[in-house]
Amino acid sequence: MKKIINLTINDQAYEIAVVPNKTLADMLRYDLNLTGTKKGCDTGDCGACTVILNGDAVNSCLILAVQTDGAVIETIEGLATDEGLHPIQEAFVEKGAIQCGFCSPGMIMSTKNLLDKNANPTEEEIREGISGNLCRCTGYQKIFEAIDSQKS
Amino acid sequence: MKEFNTIRTRANRLDSPDKATGEAIYVDDISKPGMLFGALLQSPHAHAKVLSIDTTEAKKLPGVKAVLTSKDVGTIPYGVSPARYDETVFVTDKVRYVGDEIAAVAATSLDIALKAVELIRVEYEILPAVFTVEDAIKEDAPQIHEKYKGNLTAEVHQEFGDVEKGLKESDIIKTTTVKNKRQDGAFLEMQGCIAEFDRRGNLTLTSGTQTPHYVQRTVAMVLGMDIGKVRVKKPYLGAGFGIKAAANPMELACCFLAKETNKPVKMNYTREQVFMFCRARHQFTHTITTGAKKDGTLVALKHECTLDGGAYSSFGIATVYYAGSLLAGPYKLPNMSYEGFRVYNNKPACGAQRGHGAVIARAAFEQQLDMIAEELGIDPMELRIKNMMSRGDTTCNDLNMSSFGMSECIDAVREGSDWDRKKGNMPIGKGIGMACGFFVSGAGFPIYRSDTYHGTVMIKLTEDGGTALVYTASAEIGQGSDTAFAMIAAEALGVPLSAIRLASGDTDMGVDLGAYSSRQTLMTGHATKDAAEHVKSQVLAVLAEKLDTPVEDMDIKNGFIEFKNQTLDFSELRTTYIKEHRGWIDNPDSEKLTFNEASRIAYLEKGTIVGTGKYKPVFLGGKYKGAAVGTSPAYGCSAQVAEVTVDMGTGQVIIDNVTDAHDCGKAINMTSVEGQMEGSVSMGMGEAMHEEVIFDDKGNVLNNDLAEYKLVTAMDMPKVKSIVVESDEPNGPFGAKEVGEGAIMPTIPAILNAVYDAAGVRIYELPLTPERVYTAIQEYKERKGAA
Amino acid sequence: MLLPEFELHEPVSIEDALKLKKKHGKDARLMAGGTDVLVLLKKKVIFTDTIISLLQIKELSQIKESGNEVVIGACATMAQLSKSSVIKEKFGALKSSCDNLGSHLIRNRATIGGNCCNASPAGDTMPSLMIYDAKVMIESTDGKREVSIKNFFKGPGVTDLAIHEILTGFKLPIPPKNSGAHYIQLGKRRSSEINVVNVGSFLEYDPDTKTIINSRIALGSVAATPIRAQKAEELIKGKPAKEDTFYTAGETARKEDCKPIDDFRGSAAYRQAMIGVLTKRTLQASFEQAQ
Repeated sequence: MKKIINLTINDQAYEIAVVPNKTLADMLRYDLNLTGTKKGCDTGDCGACTVILNGDAVNSCLILAVQTDGAVIETIEGLATDEGLHPIQEAFVEKGAIQCGFCSPGMIMSTKNLLDKNANPTEEEIREGISGNLCRCTGYQKIFEAIDSQKS
Repeated sequence: MKEFNTIRTRANRLDSPDKATGEAIYVDDISKPGMLFGALLQSPHAHAKVLSIDTTEAKKLPGVKAVLTSKDVGTIPYGVSPARYDETVFVTDKVRYVGDEIAAVAATSLDIALKAVELIRVEYEILPAVFTVEDAIKEDAPQIHEKYKGNLTAEVHQEFGDVEKGLKESDIIKTTTVKNKRQDGAFLEMQGCIAEFDRRGNLTLTSGTQTPHYVQRTVAMVLGMDIGKVRVKKPYLGAGFGIKAAANPMELACCFLAKETNKPVKMNYTREQVFMFCRARHQFTHTITTGAKKDGTLVALKHECTLDGGAYSSFGIATVYYAGSLLAGPYKLPNMSYEGFRVYNNKPACGAQRGHGAVIARAAFEQQLDMIAEELGIDPMELRIKNMMSRGDTTCNDLNMSSFGMSECIDAVREGSDWDRKKGNMPIGKGIGMACGFFVSGAGFPIYRSDTYHGTVMIKLTEDGGTALVYTASAEIGQGSDTAFAMIAAEALGVPLSAIRLASGDTDMGVDLGAYSSRQTLMTGHATKDAAEHVKSQVLAVLAEKLDTPVEDMDIKNGFIEFKNQTLDFSELRTTYIKEHRGWIDNPDSEKLTFNEASRIAYLEKGTIVGTGKYKPVFLGGKYKGAAVGTSPAYGCSAQVAEVTVDMGTGQVIIDNVTDAHDCGKAINMTSVEGQMEGSVSMGMGEAMHEEVIFDDKGNVLNNDLAEYKLVTAMDMPKVKSIVVESDEPNGPFGAKEVGEGAIMPTIPAILNAVYDAAGVRIYELPLTPERVYTAIQEYKERKGAA
Repeated sequence: MLLPEFELHEPVSIEDALKLKKKHGKDARLMAGGTDVLVLLKKKVIFTDTIISLLQIKELSQIKESGNEVVIGACATMAQLSKSSVIKEKFGALKSSCDNLGSHLIRNRATIGGNCCNASPAGDTMPSLMIYDAKVMIESTDGKREVSIKNFFKGPGVTDLAIHEILTGFKLPIPPKNSGAHYIQLGKRRSSEINVVNVGSFLEYDPDTKTIINSRIALGSVAATPIRAQKAEELIKGKPAKEDTFYTAGETARKEDCKPIDDFRGSAAYRQAMIGVLTKRTLQASFEQAQ
């Protein structure tokens, strides 16, 4: 049975009816057309579906949508503004941190969460902060460089 | 040295802003009105006769729009190489691996489609199955394909020079057997597709593929359609690494479902199905004997290899040839023999993956070079330099190194890693190792026998004259090819990169064999350059006529026309242009005539200016059987140094640093070249350290997720120092050649050699799990104790 | 991948949760962070038509220091534990367990109660809870009970919990002075790993005599459940705290305390060998910390 939930996604209020067995990732992608959040495994192993839920980066494929009632969610679509790309996105572009791009939205959300919590992470903390986001293309080097360039 | 304006820079990729914002559209992001969802019924058995299939209950389920089996879609065989078309969309007589496709359903929701799949009743008669090369080649082994006796997909017997004589003349001979494990491509985006027919019977397949052209041909053949009525479009793609370089059964099933229902149908593999389908790197067993002189000169190489192929051929014929042919370089080697066997069994089929066929052979051979160097007391780098081929050399099997920065790569990693100070001076548990490798820059021949162009490109100027639209059917799969071709077009046309718009990955845009064998930069690059030059010549021809100046006396650079006669009066043209441009505020006032003006004038004279370009290699390679595999217009090459720490108590290996140098000819985009190098290191490292697909005794993949199939994470990745070595490739556009696959070649052997340096143990079986390294260390200690 | 259909209950109090559990019995599946349950449901490894989520019960996610013990709510997440000052300062081995579980994304959701109820022999937090001698707090509509963590695990995926019971938290005594603890996990890569072997050790020593007063050693991935290395623990009691002793403890743990099996992640022989190495290393590290 569907339940009506109220939540905030990228500063916008939503009222949505969802069934209990729908994940947050599927609701974002298929109900709200926020397809920037990717699915690379659906079992919490790859991080492509990373969103920030109430201030924490999480795998949205392992969250029930109905359990986000009242939540504040940030997705990749919420980063760029009318002024242009978010500085982290800019850094990923500039440093060549994006290849196939499928991990990029999740990687960027993990990066944002890392820097929100720790503006000046060490190299080890940067690695740790994206450890759940698999990238098969870049070997992470240029991602590290992009994140490093965004330290305060 | 030639001066370039656009290439050899670090231009931002064209696609990265879309990818950074989540706006880039991949297959599963697309939804069509009235779209149905498809699902496959796949075999739970590794080898079984299919006695009956009952779809009655499935068809009855509300929401189900079609259920198809081989009875409905026919049994036209297909595959990768026409010499081994051994697959059909759905099985006819029997299933050959766990995952073999039996039926497909289309329904109004994925949920219903999956429920319907469960309602299909199949009666099986279980057949004995074989899962290893050893079992499959036994005389009484169950036969997987009636047509291919002895479970052999293909065998290769080659000899160049006289190996026996060479070995007799050698002072030192090493024989080792090295084995890897089956890999998975583990691209982040699982395969997916959407098929739809329009009301005139034209099919559009939107698919996550590396090779729209081959998929188009396969779909047309299997559905019995004209190629012109089949359009294959590739949206953004979450990488492929070789696995997505041929049509898959889901794409074909999806087309049939769309045809049957007259609705768009979407299908996706789950991660589990990606493992089930596989088509990634084979498990190879290489036995290699190398003979050398006392001074380190290599004399002969005797090589035997078996490939654990799985249930179908896929790329297997090419793989078994590549496994042999690419050992003939980068060292001078007068005598080489190769016996290769690609064997069927009841596991998912293997195919091509980054460094196709050659990665494990390289790992085995480069390890032997270190063993020889050690025994002869020669530095491993010196041994390699001593035997290194030079630019212009041809291998014993006719591969021509038209450019070759291999020694420069060695010098670069030697200096970059501080090799001379470190080698031989590291404490127990710390080690340093190196290796070299090379790879084709595009297969010399298409997969199907044909004189086709390997790439055609069209460039059209917009009527206002400002922008060049580049149309290529090539596949941007994440490697950065769109940006590379835009840069090549800008360079060749003489305009800034911002004046280029590019569309790719669509069979309607031309012919392009796609992203495999590291071919696009060189081949599509050539066709792009050709098309841009064609456009340029048309614009300049109009100017020549208007200004009464020979074409040779003018050029286009940075968006401006350069006249030899700098005082040439072009004001009439400018007036014409400005008159054409009423109401616009960006009227040109530059001292030089702009490209915009020139191309608008050309349009007024000639109509839409369209340039076409094309490329196919000249005939390459020798006349012996199999000469087609391994030949290429050019070869990229690389050297790597790995530094490791081995925990002598647990066997855990940490890769501390990698120094990587690659000769890619002229780098079109420096950042993208480094990206390919670093990505190659990470994939090679995963294969060296912890990636392996593991099966149970019934042919099921045990680790069919990304938790248990272990990619390199951000925590594991060492610092990589990437050094781009630029030679000038005469056969490449602007001197460019490959980087995507050559760069993986040295990674595994460099790590193996470093582990030996650290722990004193040679490991002959991958991956280097802590357990395997620990066991080797224990055996070594026991041997030492006994001695 | 789709989740099967189920009914979701989100009680806000333990009482309500217990009533629901009693009502639905074995048909209901308790869920905290969902990082295991949802994966198992998607993969069709488990089936249920009723899920009772514990996430709305605020008191279950608290970490409280009271007197000489710390009470950790079952729904405290790995990330939360790792950041908690009392865990950081006094339960370093537990923090290290929490930091090693899964990835940074999983750690924001995965809970300590969930990790224990999942009862994987390779689970990350269990050896640490065992070496800190945790008590498992259990409630049902019939009342409350506590059980020592060393008696809580009964087999892979099986615990001491009865059908109507809910694990509500853990009580950990504050470690005494002159003690230390350490946790090491061994896998094939450094993140998102499923342990091949994991070992935790706790050691209390007498600074005057330099002898070991007390020790607890917990071994993961080498039996049907995480286990205590009792023979090794007994053997080193009263012995001098030095490398030889730690080596002997490792040898005893390896030879007498564990009985691992082969699986696709590693062989029994390797696991057994690693018990020796890691037991010694964790004891050594515990001792260094204790000083």
